[in-house]
Amino acid sequence: MTVAPSTPMERLPEKPVSRSREIWQTLIANRLAVAGLVVLALLVLMAVLAEVIAPFGINDIDIPNRLTGPSMSHWFGTDDLGRDVLSRVIIASRVSLQVGFIAVGFALAFGVPIGLVAGYYRGKTDSILMRLMDILFSFPAILLAIAILAVLGPGIRNAMVAIGLVYTPIFARITRGSVIVVSEEVYIRAARSLGARDGRIIFRHILPNVLAPIIVQTTLSLAFAILSEAALSFLGLGVQPPNPAWGRMLAEGRNFFQQAPWMGIFPGVAILVTVMSFNFVGDGLRDALDPKQKSVIESRGQSV
Amino acid sequence: MTRSAIRPKWVLMLLAIALVAAACGDDDAETTTTAAAAGTTTVTTAGDDGDTATTAAPATTAAAAEPMVLVAAQGSEPDTLDPHLTSAYASFQVLENVYDTLVQPGDDLSMEPALAESWTISADNLTWTFVLRQGVKFHNGREFVADDVVFSFERIIAEGLNGWRFGSVESVTAVDDYTVDVTLTVPSPNLLVSVAGFKGMAIVAKETVEDGTIATNPVGTGPFRFVSQSPDGGIVLEANSDFWRAGEGLPILDGIRFVQIPDAGTKLTALRTGEVDWIDAVPPQDVDGLSSEAGITVGRVPGGDYHYFALNQNRPPFNDVRVRRAIATAINRTEIAEAAQFGAATANQTAIPASNGSWHLDYAPYQSADIAGAQALLDDAGVADLSIDFLVTSDFPETVTQAQVIAAQLAPLGITVNIVDVDFGTWLDMEGNGEFDAFMLSWIGNIDPDDFYYAQHHTGEWANFQGYSNPDVDALLDAARVETDSAARKALYDQAAAMIVDDASYIYLYNPDNINAWSDAVGGYATRGDNAIRFVGTFLQP
Repeated sequence: MTVAPSTPMERLPEKPVSRSREIWQTLIANRLAVAGLVVLALLVLMAVLAEVIAPFGINDIDIPNRLTGPSMSHWFGTDDLGRDVLSRVIIASRVSLQVGFIAVGFALAFGVPIGLVAGYYRGKTDSILMRLMDILFSFPAILLAIAILAVLGPGIRNAMVAIGLVYTPIFARITRGSVIVVSEEVYIRAARSLGARDGRIIFRHILPNVLAPIIVQTTLSLAFAILSEAALSFLGLGVQPPNPAWGRMLAEGRNFFQQAPWMGIFPGVAILVTVMSFNFVGDGLRDALDPKQKSVIESRGQSV
Repeated sequence: MTRSAIRPKWVLMLLAIALVAAACGDDDAETTTTAAAAGTTTVTTAGDDGDTATTAAPATTAAAAEPMVLVAAQGSEPDTLDPHLTSAYASFQVLENVYDTLVQPGDDLSMEPALAESWTISADNLTWTFVLRQGVKFHNGREFVADDVVFSFERIIAEGLNGWRFGSVESVTAVDDYTVDVTLTVPSPNLLVSVAGFKGMAIVAKETVEDGTIATNPVGTGPFRFVSQSPDGGIVLEANSDFWRAGEGLPILDGIRFVQIPDAGTKLTALRTGEVDWIDAVPPQDVDGLSSEAGITVGRVPGGDYHYFALNQNRPPFNDVRVRRAIATAINRTEIAEAAQFGAATANQTAIPASNGSWHLDYAPYQSADIAGAQALLDDAGVADLSIDFLVTSDFPETVTQAQVIAAQLAPLGITVNIVDVDFGTWLDMEGNGEFDAFMLSWIGNIDPDDFYYAQHHTGEWANFQGYSNPDVDALLDAARVETDSAARKALYDQAAAMIVDDASYIYLYNPDNINAWSDAVGGYATRGDNAIRFVGTFLQP
């Protein structure tokens, strides 16, 4: 009801907070999003420093010590070949994040320009590009990824391409939709009547105004890309052994679930935590970026 | 466990050579007559578990009570029920109980009479005459005659997956209704194993081939009659009351229902809860725990399968025998067997296991995990920074496990192993096209040394994907193939085997055990060395 005058929530109409600052503030007001951000930061740090942190090598086979439970020397236990599960989970984080970021980067790099061009020019260009996207979109994502990998052959690089390709139409669609709305705005017409070239209009005036949904979609897609990578690895189509991937570790752990549940539990938890973190951050970002949602957040913030 | 598709799955017979040996030994006497022995053999060997079974579980009580139906769980779905056109082990698990062959591997895996009561060999070793059992009826009521043998064999030769087994057969002719002559181009001491070693050589009813029902409604002469197959009910068989061993009280069961449970863990749970009575395999890591569990029996016998890997000799540097020997020296077979099979296997540097007494060659020239020796060989060959694209398939998960262990074992030599894990269909394509530095799999169901060596190591043969060519080995294998004296034949194979091992054409790893499990209510069943699943003498105790 009443807000203490000193809180950062207080906003004076004559001195507007900058937009990015405003977004950031809304984001960090969301505890789940903050938790997600912290976990993601730790994950990235872990992935970067993986080799330094991991206590054992990824293929340090030790048959006599196979299937031993969590202990001081092996915090997450050992797998069927006596390898340290903790080390493998740590090293595998690199694979997951790498595939996630690169695949989504790929989807962004292709999807956004396609959406921009289709939405701005409309007409035939739009029809051709978007029908192509519709074709890709009509397949269930994971099925299409499997089909692409069946053609390209398994491996981490091909997995990135496959996942990236599968997510391209999503970005194309989202971008196009926003572009169509923005293109009708008065300031775009003004820019056009001033003689601005298409390229300038698209990149200077339209792109910044359609970024919000793209950013949200990027964060959410990262979560799904990591999940897709895990699914492909589970099926043996991703990273090839002995290199670890969470999905593959889950698949291997499945056979030993009775004797050594830790083989599957820890990689599973890793997937869960990572994907949930991206989702929390994505939700937080959407709340912060979506103007329609903003008032809701603010009222929530006020009433706390 | 099947090589599938282009790799015919055949059921192995470890000790089976006894009969071949007997046949060969006798041929000094111009003709071999096993007929006299055969009559009794049929009753004694084949009736072994039958005899005990009939006394132990009187069929009359069972008949009075509700039908005695065994529920058997198999790990995969049979692809087709046509014995000549399938290579799937799941199909053979069913068909073993539906069909018969001319002769069959007995409990000791030597060949015993089945549809043929006896056989003789001509003086020149080029004509085998089979005398058929009379009064045998197909499940459709028609009598089994010599024409069925001719038809079945000609079909296998023309379109069956195992036509190559008739490589030395010139013709198959029906002399009369109960006599069949098999004429050969060259002497073939292992003919019985070739033409009747497993149910892929089954005698089928001509009319089911002509009307196309054989794939879905198999009609044989075996102990059980096919009733139905459905996604929910599995495959249902019922006792064949006209079975040619009905006089011995066989079969004892009223029926069998095969259900398919692909997940090994679920299958094991189904056995534990009593949902099924028998399961076709036990994950190696569960064998020890399961053996001590009350109410469950684990059947485990040394098997004749072998696991191996091969290096592509069409690609440098693997065409250099020193490089292949270096790798064969650096690996630790015991560790590989332990890693993949949890001790349910025996490390071996040759193909034929010690349990195959007749043909086993005790030969192990390679040190285990001898990194220094391997490095010296590599240095000698001038090879460094070696990288191996290693082809494996998740459809046989042990290959993935083994490749990882081998990768670790070769790491000290600076060898990088890039594991290529693909589905089995792709695997077969890549193997066939030579797209590998190394591939790993297993061969199953071998009994005769010709099965172990000829197709795999003779120059230009169909299974010689690794591109091995050694004229001396070729000459030995060719000579052994037609050598009718078993001692001389063994000597030839021993020489060839030693050369194959020395040249590291295949790098042999181990022989796994055959394992089934069943509830204690099941009697009269035993896990066999050839992995054949025979329920003819099986019964259920209340």
